[in-house]
Amino acid sequence: MAATRSSELGDLVQIKKQLISIIAQCKERGLVHSVKWASELAFSLETLPLNEIPPPPELTEEDAQDLDAFCLAKSYFDLKEYDRAAYFLRGCRSQKAYFLYMYSRYLSGEKKKDDETVDSLGPLEKGQVRNEALRELRVELSKKHSAGELDGFALYLYGVVLRKLDLLKEAVEIFVAATHALPLHWGSWLELCNLITNIEMLKSLSLPDCWVRDFFTAHMYTELQMIKEALQKYHSLMEAGFAKSTYIISQIAVAYHNIRDIDQALYLFNELREQDPFRIENMDTFSNLLYVRSMKPELSYLAHNLVEIDKYRVETCCVIGNYYSLRSQHEKAALYFQRALKLNPRCLGAWTLMGHEYMEMKNTSAAIQAYRHAIEVNKRDYRAWYGLGQTYEILKMPFYSLYYYRKAHQLRANDSRMLVALGECYEKLSQQVEAKKCYWRAYSVGDVERMALLKLAKLHEQLNESDDAAQCYIIYIKDIFSCGEQLEHAEVSNALRYLGQYYFKNRLYDEASLCAQRCCDYNDAREEGKALLRQISAVREQGEPSSTDLSLPCVFNPLSNNTTPVRRVSPLDLSSITP
Amino acid sequence: MASVHESLYFNPMMTNGVVHANIFGIKDWVTPYKIAVLTLLYEMSTTKPMALLERRRLNKLILPLQQGADLTLEQFVKIVEECSLRMVNAVKLRIFLMADGELQDMEHFFTILPNAFSDSEAFKTSVVGLFMRQMLLAYNKLSFSQVYKLYKSLQQYCHLGNQLELSALPSEDMELTSNEDPSADRIDKDELDTTSLHQSELRSDETQGPLSQKQAEYFLARQAYLLKNDENKAMSPAKLQDELNNILKFNPDFAEAHYLSYLNSMRVQDIFISTHSLLHYFDRLFISGGEGKSNGDEGYGRSLRYAVLNLATLHCRFGHYQQADLALQEAIRIAQEANDHVCLQHCLSWLYTLEQMKGSDSVVLTEDSVKIAAHFCLPYLASLGIQSLVQQGAKQGMPANKLLDALRGTDIMHWKQSLSELIEISLAQTTSIWRMYGKSTMARQQAQLLLNMNSLEPVNFSVQQNNTEAFAVTLCHLSELHAEQGLYAVVADIMKHLKQQFPPHTQHAKLWMLCDLKIQFEKAMNDGKYHLAEPHVTAISALNSTEGLYRKAQLLKALNQTSEASKILQQLQQQCEKSKNTEMIIRVMLASAELHWDSSGFASGLPLLLQALALSRQHNLQSLTSETVLHLAFTQLMLGIPEQALALVQDVLESVLAHGSLIDKGRALLLAARCQMTLAGTAAQKHRLTALEQAVHTLEEAAVYFSRLDCKERMRDIHYLQARLHHTLGNVSQRNKYAMLFRLLDQELPSSGMTVVNRL
Repeated sequence: MAATRSSELGDLVQIKKQLISIIAQCKERGLVHSVKWASELAFSLETLPLNEIPPPPELTEEDAQDLDAFCLAKSYFDLKEYDRAAYFLRGCRSQKAYFLYMYSRYLSGEKKKDDETVDSLGPLEKGQVRNEALRELRVELSKKHSAGELDGFALYLYGVVLRKLDLLKEAVEIFVAATHALPLHWGSWLELCNLITNIEMLKSLSLPDCWVRDFFTAHMYTELQMIKEALQKYHSLMEAGFAKSTYIISQIAVAYHNIRDIDQALYLFNELREQDPFRIENMDTFSNLLYVRSMKPELSYLAHNLVEIDKYRVETCCVIGNYYSLRSQHEKAALYFQRALKLNPRCLGAWTLMGHEYMEMKNTSAAIQAYRHAIEVNKRDYRAWYGLGQTYEILKMPFYSLYYYRKAHQLRANDSRMLVALGECYEKLSQQVEAKKCYWRAYSVGDVERMALLKLAKLHEQLNESDDAAQCYIIYIKDIFSCGEQLEHAEVSNALRYLGQYYFKNRLYDEASLCAQRCCDYNDAREEGKALLRQISAVREQGEPSSTDLSLPCVFNPLSNNTTPVRRVSPLDLSSITP
Repeated sequence: MASVHESLYFNPMMTNGVVHANIFGIKDWVTPYKIAVLTLLYEMSTTKPMALLERRRLNKLILPLQQGADLTLEQFVKIVEECSLRMVNAVKLRIFLMADGELQDMEHFFTILPNAFSDSEAFKTSVVGLFMRQMLLAYNKLSFSQVYKLYKSLQQYCHLGNQLELSALPSEDMELTSNEDPSADRIDKDELDTTSLHQSELRSDETQGPLSQKQAEYFLARQAYLLKNDENKAMSPAKLQDELNNILKFNPDFAEAHYLSYLNSMRVQDIFISTHSLLHYFDRLFISGGEGKSNGDEGYGRSLRYAVLNLATLHCRFGHYQQADLALQEAIRIAQEANDHVCLQHCLSWLYTLEQMKGSDSVVLTEDSVKIAAHFCLPYLASLGIQSLVQQGAKQGMPANKLLDALRGTDIMHWKQSLSELIEISLAQTTSIWRMYGKSTMARQQAQLLLNMNSLEPVNFSVQQNNTEAFAVTLCHLSELHAEQGLYAVVADIMKHLKQQFPPHTQHAKLWMLCDLKIQFEKAMNDGKYHLAEPHVTAISALNSTEGLYRKAQLLKALNQTSEASKILQQLQQQCEKSKNTEMIIRVMLASAELHWDSSGFASGLPLLLQALALSRQHNLQSLTSETVLHLAFTQLMLGIPEQALALVQDVLESVLAHGSLIDKGRALLLAARCQMTLAGTAAQKHRLTALEQAVHTLEEAAVYFSRLDCKERMRDIHYLQARLHHTLGNVSQRNKYAMLFRLLDQELPSSGMTVVNRL
């Protein structure tokens, strides 16, 4: 299957032709987002010579009959006069006109619903404002559907109606049918994407074999947090000829952001901005990265730039919020996140970010509220769960926060931050066994903050398990030195100090003196290092033999030889992201 | 025994056991249904002369109409029609006039509405007055487009009602149409309801439509009350959860719904959802607590503490003691930091409950708790503590007078403060204590007292009897007491009631299940149908392992598998000594002694029996004391000192006859008769006859009890003895009669191999 599709991919000219025709079709039907996606993709491909450009589709007899009404209705539609458009289309019989007729009825309902929301009376009522046209549409569409009269676009609309009516199972079926009928229409794929909740479900669907499917699977992998697979897909797509597509670049950047590969993501975003300087989409993610790296000037530049482009966009507000947050003006930051939420109440990131801001302001109850809202929008938002856990931990309720951390951990099983947080809670509750397990697991899955081992070592130290503690310190130091970065001086010197004492107690004087010497590199441990050296030389003068007990962990061969030990974590993983 | 804490749903809004409803401001809006109710009220207040009966019926109708979910016009009309035919016509006329006229008519109605109430008996502050004013306020707040929409939906409401009335569709069809699935014939109706204000008007199924906040609050309050007091009347768990999800979908900020969802999932023992809902509730509560409460930050901190405490109780109820312990410690720590004595007190009372559940000694903690609770004037917690202390004291053999005094003292306070829940617990506890002491008459009396008590709840949603743990415990005791007297038909009735009141999935169902099994087991054992008893043993073990082991030992003993039985008894004794279950220890000792008899080791059983006697005396366990004394007497009889044995039997005979079960009475009398027989054998010739006659008399009495129980094995023994006695006395005809009876029974029963001699 992969082979056949890659050959399809190879034929870029063919793809370009398909794109051009679908752009025209979508445009006629007012499906602006799909037009945008397809156009972006088409733009990234080579331009075709004149004779290659596909001719506009043949008009059928029905089309010709409906042409005038359709043109009139389309102009009303473009002016957002949906009811008017629907009125003039009511008698038309061509597929195109029928779709536009139904679509304008749907949009008219949606528009009225939005207007209604402003008029609603109380909080309970808000959820009750519904698009009243939906049920009618559903009845009509299902009739036509059972008669088999729906084309790809109409199927898509039918699916959307079903989804809006919360009939998710049926909606999935219809969207799958829509992709079969019209694989090039990105809208159906995107809707399908929102309805698929896990990888099993994805595998169980029978999807058409088309090059668009590759884009879809890549997108799906990103949504399901299967970043590695997603990246692989995107890279293969780039190799196949879509290298210039801004869509793919932005998707890859977001994927890198999700696995906290900040440098790569930053690089890609910068490239993206060069290619498409007026782009606003995904810029909130970019600002998150800048925030994590504390790149104030860049963030400030981005914020100012975006305000110039369009200040009433959710992304812009998020960027400004991040900007203020980085400048520690948390009230203003919260204000901008609120504005973002006013623009789009279902904007997940903003709720979480607002929670973070309230946390900074020590307004825990508001923070809890914000996080809860985030969870409501998306139950799988691990950052909100984590934030709730943090809030309760700050309120000195470690047991209470365990539940939230566990939730977060469930969602991101291989994220060390949740594990470390869990470990800390257990430690506070004096559940050392559980704490140890958490720390060790955190280290095993690749610790981003480098704290797990240290904490584990300290825990062992407290419990007087000196062998285990030493073992942990040894691995810790190996990791630190192998990365060649000198971070957390205090912790490193602390580890060295402990190891020195440990070796001294076990009469491994060579190793002990090595550690002591290393200690002298650090200001705060210098005195102790020297003292230890003196002790060692005193003992040696007494002629006490060094122990040859080989059962003790012996580490410093690699350290002294400066050969590279096994690297568990890549240097990139060092920084932590608190988006 | 009633464990005192189990039945309490702890709630931070609760003070001294009373849950205060959380009523917010005006959270209601005008719907066509409300307009219909308003028309009814209007007509009621304007039509002066009305039959008293009709008026009374209508008045009773007002509250449910106001508080319930929106009804369709058809349903509404039907309900009103049942009360007053004249009124329904007036209402229909007015509302159809409004709907068929113009918007102006509706506006006119709202302008004349207050006039009707100005001079009638409906005061401004009455329920009706408030409702009317709320509706007026809500109506006046409507914007132009909203008024128009309201009118449109009113038209539809009437139109739909009218149409249905004309076509006279049964109500089931109504429900069908309101479901989400559109069938083909549905389209016509769909076209009718395209532009409606709210879905509620279109739906007839009351569980489907979204409720206004006010309606939702009434709904929650009612369901919560029912959950606490009479679970069977509440909605089924699945349905209630659906309803809650519906409410939450429309308003996720409605924190109380989360709490109810927590309670609801507790019913079905779903730890996942209950934890989730509980935490969600408190997360939401902080929000409303932050803005709503006047004490601002204090309220927020308070709910934090109670959040952890509730989490602890949740784990407690699921038996996760370690988790509960951790949560409780956390609650205590933050309560200490905030200097919140009341919360600390709650924590303390949970702490001793937890200790108790874990099976460790918590008397000191409980005593402290009572003292502090009294100091901070928390009567509820204080008497809970006292009840818990009494329970522990009873188990540890505290003097009975002290315990009962303590209970009486708290009872006075309960009645003063009308803490009905505690009164119930107290009565149930007294029943249990009397039962434990072996005073069945007293136990019965207390049980009846509780069962005949009227509910003391201030708001009574037509709940006659609560299904709290106290009632379950009492009913179980009652059924066991009846079973002891051989009244199995009554027992079956009680069990039926219990099953109905506490369905198997509910919290307290285990109580009656165990009780039922025990009764069945006893019955099977008495009838000598051991094969029937065997499955019961397995079932009992599932519910209570200690009890199960004991029953297993009994069964093995009866089946003559002595070595296995003795092994189990030894194991059981160790277990019980660890858990300080005195009653069981004594029972085990008695059973072990009986095993010794089987091997004719009568003397070796004596130390055990003496130990048992000492223990039972120390703990005031009268029935067990008499039982032990009877065992001792039997041993003495077997060891050849019938005088002593008879004296012992006569000592306890009185109390056995007064309080004992039928089988105990029979056994005691049988033993007495046997002593008398043996004595007669050694007595001088002239006394011999009278002594023998006495024995015959006693045997006859014993036979009455056994025959009432239909206990054939015992009857066989008795007939044998009777035949022997009459033989000695020379009453040939009597002898032959009893001999025949004996033979009949002996043929019927499989020979158990157990001779008459060594069995009490």
